[in-house]
This record gives sequence, C-alpha cells and structure tokens, in this order.
Amino acid sequence: MPRWRVLVVFLLPAVLLYSVFIVYPLLSAFHYSFFEWRGIRQAGFAGLGNYRDLFTVYPYDRQLWRAFAHNALFFAGTMLIQNTVGLLFALLLFRYGRGRRFLQAAFTTPYLVDPLVVGYLWSLLLNPTFGPVNALLEAAGLDSWALPWLGDTRTALPVIIVVNAWQWVGFPMLLFSAALAGIPAEYHEAARVDGASAWQAFRRVTLPLLTPAIGVVSVLTFIGNFNAFGLVYAMAGSTGSPAGSTDVLGLLFYRVAFVEGGVEAIGRSSALAVLMFVFVFGVSLLAGSYFRRRERTLV
Amino acid sequence: MRYRRLPALAAAGPGTWKARRRTRPPGLRRWIAGAAGALALTLAACAPGGGAAGPGDADDGGKVTLSLWSWRVEDVKAYEKILAAFERSHPRIDVEFKAFQATEYNNILATGLSGSDGPDVAQLRAYGGLQPLVEAGQLVPLDGKVEALSGFDPKLLEGAKGHKDGKIYGVPFAYQTLQVLYNKKLFADHGIRPPATWDEMIAAAGKLKAAGITPFAVAAGPDATWTLPIVHEIFGNARYGGAKFRDAVLSGGKKFTDPDFTASIKLIKDLEPYFPKNVVAVKIPDVQALFATGKAAMYPTGSFDLAPVLQANPSLEVGAFPVPPPPGSPVTTPVTPGWADGSFGVNAKSRHQAEALELVEWMATPEFGRLYATELKQLSAVPGVTPPDPLLAEMAANYAAHGAPYMLLVDFRYGQPNGDAIFRDEVQKMLAGQTDPAAVAESLQKGVEQWFTAGN
Amino acid sequence: MTARRRGPGRVAVHLLLWGYAAVALLPLVVMVLGSLRPTGEILTAPLGLPLSPTLGSYGRVWTEASFGAYLLNSLIVTCGAVLLGTAVSATAAYALARYDFPGNRLLGAYVLAGLMLPIRLGLVPIFYLMDSMGLIDSLLGLTLLYAASGVPFCVFVLSAFYRSLPGELEEAARIDGAGEFRIFGRIMLPLVRPALASVTLFQFVPLWHEFLYPLVLLRSEEKFTIPRGLSQFFGEYTTDWSALFAGLVLATAPLFVLFVLATKQIIAGLTAGMGR
Repeated sequence: MPRWRVLVVFLLPAVLLYSVFIVYPLLSAFHYSFFEWRGIRQAGFAGLGNYRDLFTVYPYDRQLWRAFAHNALFFAGTMLIQNTVGLLFALLLFRYGRGRRFLQAAFTTPYLVDPLVVGYLWSLLLNPTFGPVNALLEAAGLDSWALPWLGDTRTALPVIIVVNAWQWVGFPMLLFSAALAGIPAEYHEAARVDGASAWQAFRRVTLPLLTPAIGVVSVLTFIGNFNAFGLVYAMAGSTGSPAGSTDVLGLLFYRVAFVEGGVEAIGRSSALAVLMFVFVFGVSLLAGSYFRRRERTLV
Repeated sequence: MRYRRLPALAAAGPGTWKARRRTRPPGLRRWIAGAAGALALTLAACAPGGGAAGPGDADDGGKVTLSLWSWRVEDVKAYEKILAAFERSHPRIDVEFKAFQATEYNNILATGLSGSDGPDVAQLRAYGGLQPLVEAGQLVPLDGKVEALSGFDPKLLEGAKGHKDGKIYGVPFAYQTLQVLYNKKLFADHGIRPPATWDEMIAAAGKLKAAGITPFAVAAGPDATWTLPIVHEIFGNARYGGAKFRDAVLSGGKKFTDPDFTASIKLIKDLEPYFPKNVVAVKIPDVQALFATGKAAMYPTGSFDLAPVLQANPSLEVGAFPVPPPPGSPVTTPVTPGWADGSFGVNAKSRHQAEALELVEWMATPEFGRLYATELKQLSAVPGVTPPDPLLAEMAANYAAHGAPYMLLVDFRYGQPNGDAIFRDEVQKMLAGQTDPAAVAESLQKGVEQWFTAGN
Repeated sequence: MTARRRGPGRVAVHLLLWGYAAVALLPLVVMVLGSLRPTGEILTAPLGLPLSPTLGSYGRVWTEASFGAYLLNSLIVTCGAVLLGTAVSATAAYALARYDFPGNRLLGAYVLAGLMLPIRLGLVPIFYLMDSMGLIDSLLGLTLLYAASGVPFCVFVLSAFYRSLPGELEEAARIDGAGEFRIFGRIMLPLVRPALASVTLFQFVPLWHEFLYPLVLLRSEEKFTIPRGLSQFFGEYTTDWSALFAGLVLATAPLFVLFVLATKQIIAGLTAGMGR
C-alpha cells in the first residue's frame, strides 16, 4: 500500500471530525468578528471596528488589560504552586510504600468534581460569616488570619489560584509520576556511585529527564489558565469580585457575550475570543518548539 | 560523564515500553473490538429519525401543541396549573411549558428563535434585554393584534417595546417593586415601628446594631453585585430626585455627575456600618439566611425576594416599607422604584402564529392576571388585578401611589456597557474602599456616554 | 527515594501526604452531607451537619427529575464521544508523531489550535451547524461535537507519547515484513496504553460535567444529560440545594468508578515501567 494511503487512513477520521465540528465554527466566529451585529442577525461589514472597540470603549479598554494581567498572574501562580507541588507529590510517592495508590487517588479526586461545584464548595468553606475555615482559625487563636478571603481585593486572586491548584494538582502529579517511572534506575544508581547528593541527583539527572513532561504540563497549564472560567465564575461571579480584582479574560468574554448582552454582543465577543486565541496559540507554539529544542539538546 | 550517554527517553510515561515488549497485552484486540462495538451501538441508539420532529408538529386531530419557553425554572408547576385553565377554554390548543436556567436563557432563546424548531411563545426580558431579539427580527409585533394592551400601564409597556421602532413585542406579565422588607417580630421586640423619617430609620438601625442584630441584610459579594444598584435605588431614589431627575438626564439637562446623584451614592457608603461585616464577601444566600433566621432585621430588596425568604422560613412574619426621603432630597415623599419584569411574545418563525397569538391575548386577560398573582405570588402586570397576598397588595399600592422607574435598568441597558453594569462594579469598589462617590458617578457618566446621547 | 529515609524526615513526609489527602477529600464530604439535609435547613445555615439526615432529596432527584434517564443519556453521549475521540486521535497522533511527511508540522499546529478555544465561543455557529444537519435535540449531534472537542487534547498528549518510543521497534518489525497497520496495532498502540487511559480520563470528566451545549442543543426531557437535568434545580432567585447536592453526588459517583479503572491502567503501566 502506498504511504500516502496509509497516512490518509490514519489521519482522515480525526481531521474530518475536528474540521467540521471545531474548525468550521471557529472560522465562523472569526468571520463574525468583522461584522456588525443586530442581535443574532448579521448587519454590515465592520472591518476592524469590533477589535477597535475593545481597546477604546470604556470600561472594556481598562478591563481588557486588567484581565490579561490577572491571567498572567494566574498562570505564574499555578506554575509555582500547582505544578511544583504536583512534582513534589510525584517524587514523594515514587517509592512510597503502602497507601500509595490511595494517596494518588485522593489527590486526584477533586478533579472529578465540576469546577463550578468546587468553587461553590470552597466559597462556603471560606465564607466569613458561616465558614468553618475562619471559625477554625479563630478557635486556634489566629484571629488576625481570619480574613474575608474572597471579599478582600488582596487575597481573592491568590485564594482562587490555590483552590484551582487544589483541584488540578493530580494532573501534573500523574504526568510527572509517569515520566519518573520512565527514567531507568541505572541513572540514579550511577549518580549515587558518583557520590552525588539527593538534591544533586535530582537537579542533574531527574530534572533534565523530566523536560518533556514539564513542557507538556507547562503548555497545558498555560492554555488552561488563559481560558479559565468555571472556577473563577463560581468563586468571584461574572464581574471578578471584589472590585474586579479577580477578573480574567474568560469572565470578560462571558460578560461581553452573554451577561450584558446588547445588540452588538456577537461581534465584540467574537473579536475578543479571536484575540485570546491568537495570543494563546502563538505562545503555545513558541513554547512547544522551545521545549522540543531542549529535548533534542539532551540527546 | 556517564550522564551524557542518556538516550532520548522523552515525554511522560514512556517507561512502559520495555515491559510491554515482553508481555504483549492479550486483551488489546478485545479492547478494540469492544470499543468499536460499543461505539456502533451508541451511534445506532441515538441516530435521529432524519431531522428532529418538533413539538410544534405534533398535531393530531386538528390539535395544536404550542411550545412556551421561560427562564422560571422554579415556576414549572405553577405554570402548568395556570396553562391548564387556558387549555380548558381553548380545547384545540395544548401548551408545553419549558423552563431553562435563567443565567443561560438569553443564548438559548436567541438561538432557539433562529432555528427551525424554536418556541412558539417565549418569555422575554424587558427593556435593553429585549432589543437583540427585536433588532434581529425574531418577534412578531403585537400592535393592533392584542387589543387588551391598550389598557396596560404605559410605564410597563415600555419594557416590551422596541427601542427604535416603538412597537410592542410582548404582553407584560409582571412588575417588580423595590422597598425594605422587615421582620415584624424583631421590630416589635425592640419597640421599633416602620420609620416615617430617614432619621427614625437610622435610629432604628443603631438600636438594632447595639442589640447585636444586623440592621440591613445587604450583600455585595461575588454573586450579589447586581443587587447594589437596587440597594442604591431603594435608599437613594428620592435623594437624586426620582422620575424628575431621570427625565432631566434623558433630555440632557442633567448628568450622573450631578451633586444630587453623587449624594445618593454616598448614602450607601454612609449606611455601610449597618450592613453585615465584610459586606464585599457576603453572598445572596447569606443575607437571605440572615434575614430568614432573624439575625438581620431589614432586607432592602425587590418583591421577587419574598418567595425565597419565605421558602427558607415559612413562618417568618414579613412587613415592607418604602424608605423615607433622606435629608436634602428633592423628592419629599417615600418613593417605590419599580420596573417591568418581562413579557410574553410570539416567535416570528412559529408555524402556529394564530394559536400563539391566542395564547398571548389570553395572557393579557384578568383571568391570567389573577391566576398568575395567586399561583406565583408576583405582581401581575394586567390592569386591575390586585394580588391576594396582603403584603404584595401593600407593595402594589405603594408603587401605584409613588412609583418611579429604576432608571439604570429601564433606560441604560440599551447599549454596551450597561449603566447598571458599570454602576454595580463601581459601588462594589467603593464598599471595598477603593473609590469614592464622586468617582463612581464620573465612571457611570463616562460609561453610558459610550453609547448614550441625550435628547433622543 | 525520600520515603526510604529514616527519622523525622520520614514522619514529615507521611504527615504531609496524609494531611493533604484529608484536605483533598474534605470538601467532597461537605457535598455528601449537604445532600442529606433539607433545603430549608441549608438556606438558614449553608453549612452544617445533617441533624435529621434524610434521603428524601435522592428520591426527589430520581423521581421528579428522571435521573435514571439522564444517567443513561450522559453515559451514551460521554462514552460515545470519548471512544470516538480517542480512537481517531490515537491513529492521527501516531501518524503525526512517527511519519515524516510534508506538512506534518503544519497539520500538528492545525490540530493543536483547537486546544485553545474557549468552548463558549462556538455557541452560535455550532447551533447553526447542528440545525442545518438536523442534529438539534439529538444525542448523536452532542456526541459528535464532544468527540471532536477531545481530538486536540488527545492528539497533543498521545503524540508526545508516541514520539518517545524508540525507533528500533518499528524498524525491526518492518524488517520482519510487518505492514504499517500491523506495526501500529500490534506494537505501538499497546505501548501507549497508559497514555490512552490518561486521555480517556481527562476527556471524560469535563464532558461529563458540560452543561452549556445540552442546554442549547437538547429540547426534549427524555434526552437530557445529567448536567442539563440538574440545571432544573437552579431557579432565578431560588435554588433547590438539597436536590442539587444529591444530584451532584449521584453524578460524581460514576466518575469514581471510571477513575479507579483508569488509574489501574495508568498505574499498572507505571509499575511495569519500574519493574525493570
């Protein structure tokens, strides 16, 4: 059988399914962003008008940058907390004896619950009026720690980042566990024979070999964080409470497209989505090729 | 040095290949076969019979089934009861009531009306929320088709009109009023009567606070920002000048930066000590619980909140009062702000328009109004219908005597950004200590100026 | 390696891991407890122990909302979508990872692009697409949409796995005269079984919870999926918390079963890798 036919058989079903149900709607949305809209009816050609509106119409002009900055913080915080803790858990559990499977399962369990529900449950737990978290802190004599959490502009975003990490930590943990399992034991032994300390062995053997896994995790985290919606919506509402301190691009899109409705909603929201897409896609491609280069230098 | 000989064992989880090479999984083929079988079964099980047959097509023996869409998930049973009365007097028509989650309803309706299998009659948002459907030509104008509309309160009809063409696109079903609900027992226990003056109200709030009771159940948390413009209306409508100020803004005589409007915003900041602690973290269920359990004495809210409060505590004795005008108000009588809640309209693509019109005509009759008021405990928009519930009747009377439009909702949702959307964010900011009343007013003015031009 | 250490370090590791396990599971206990309390009680005190535990909410979810039917629909849609999505992705990812052909990188980027789409973006065009194909109020339409939405993620993860497999394997097989499909089916696919289990799990969970598209695309109650069915408990101003919690507990339970099955695969793969 000629090679191209093999390729077609392998590739066609996925490409077809994906093109019809994902790419075609995406292209339509791209197309929508260049038109004026009257409700769900397409009116005249708008050129870049919808894009210009996002940067010039108050308050979107400010909210756009603010939301973008929060997404960047969200990503940085998640890399720092979720993925480091995920790696730590993977390392600790790697040679852990009894209970390893249970712990792995327990850490991954929050992922099974819908982000909207997770957000709701944690808002209950952190509620300053009824919540047990502050009640516990007060009982332990840590009254000054009993903050309004989601009601304070300084703590709200960090709290959401931590809860998000709580929900997702099982994901990097599983991927890192899988990658760790793939490192031949001889390397560690070799390192030990060379007299390397545990930290040196980790730094110079384990970590470089984890590069591909770190690449996959980073890119997926980036994409996930820049499209964050459900959890933030459940914990901070559609406005990014309090005072917009947790507003992210996903919420801004939701507000422009659905909450504040308006007759021009489809055009403006499509323009915003296209911008988000171009940015996330561009960065992901760059990151992907960066990590692939790193991989090659390891050989 | 030894490390340098590492093969490119890349990516997550490659470690399995060596083990797998030795033990080829016997179950694999079974797995694939099973997967394929299940898939075929799945696809067969849910293959559609060539284009979905809509409920509107289900005619048998000349009978027509109308599909009626709504965002009131909690009212399904009540509507079924109400619509049974219609079906009795219109034996040729069946009505199927379908409720969708309120937060997603706008999308569902906009797409549903444009598709081939949408509703025949739909519950419609009011004012600005109606415009996308009107401008897309998705609704049937009812002028001259539903005679009874001429008897409706023009203020309520405004909510069902196209902003540009002035045509009526729906039969209003209800209106909402804004006032302070209070716990009768707590008031009696502390020797407090519904206040006749602003100072009396503040004195009562101080007394309650001293007794360890939250005076005003106000939420400004993540799910509650939309209630902040409502709280502002309740306390501040008289202070900014009510309907007169509204007319002045619409005609271009005044702006939101007017000192009276700024002063009305400041009232919320001044009242903050009487709100729950950390009000910016407090959510709607929290204040409902505070009020329902007697931990808060007063609840500034809309008539729509009566049902949820009584659901939480059916034995709660609730009264209501309109807030007395604050000092310095241009208006000297207590004001009850209100707005049209929504309407029922006809899908322009409906295949049963005649029957759909029959249904909305019936929705303009006192029969529907009475059923609606009784079954749903809401204020019916049908003229002449008084609610059987004494408290609601009192609210209706207050609105009839000194009603004023909830301006930001009624007039400033016709463009993006919505007036009340800007306002709620800014008021929350103010309560979080990040801005002041004058800046809130400026922001609001700047926001609506993006699309609003006075004098239109 | 750390756990092998003796003394306080080891105790600290145990404490950290088991302590965190409690934090990971606790909020789920809140959900279960909430389902045992009547809504009136939840409204007056959002959190608390069930003073008079009742299973009434479960009965209500099962009868008032026909949860059994929702469960079946959810299973059909989600299983169908995950199987289809994984099956087509497993072959496509293989071709992208192991064959060098012109346009390979471009096609990879094309597929990857779908990973970055906020699902809400496509609402209006997807509605029109489904409407034109007669797939409104059809579980098949939802299944195809969901299957397609999983393709980018599956291809992304699986191709990373395929790429990591050493080339000697297929070369050896090719010298033995094995055809391309045989190499794929008999040699390469079995090697990525843990990865298949992972992508199945990670596709399944979000699709199981997805509620926007069923809201917009499904019309008749007998076709509702679980999230679409549960949305009936969210009123405009009131929510039936008790029933909602019960529904959520029932909705999450099947995920635990899947999870246990999938991790068995994933972890079996890991152990095999370590056994060398």
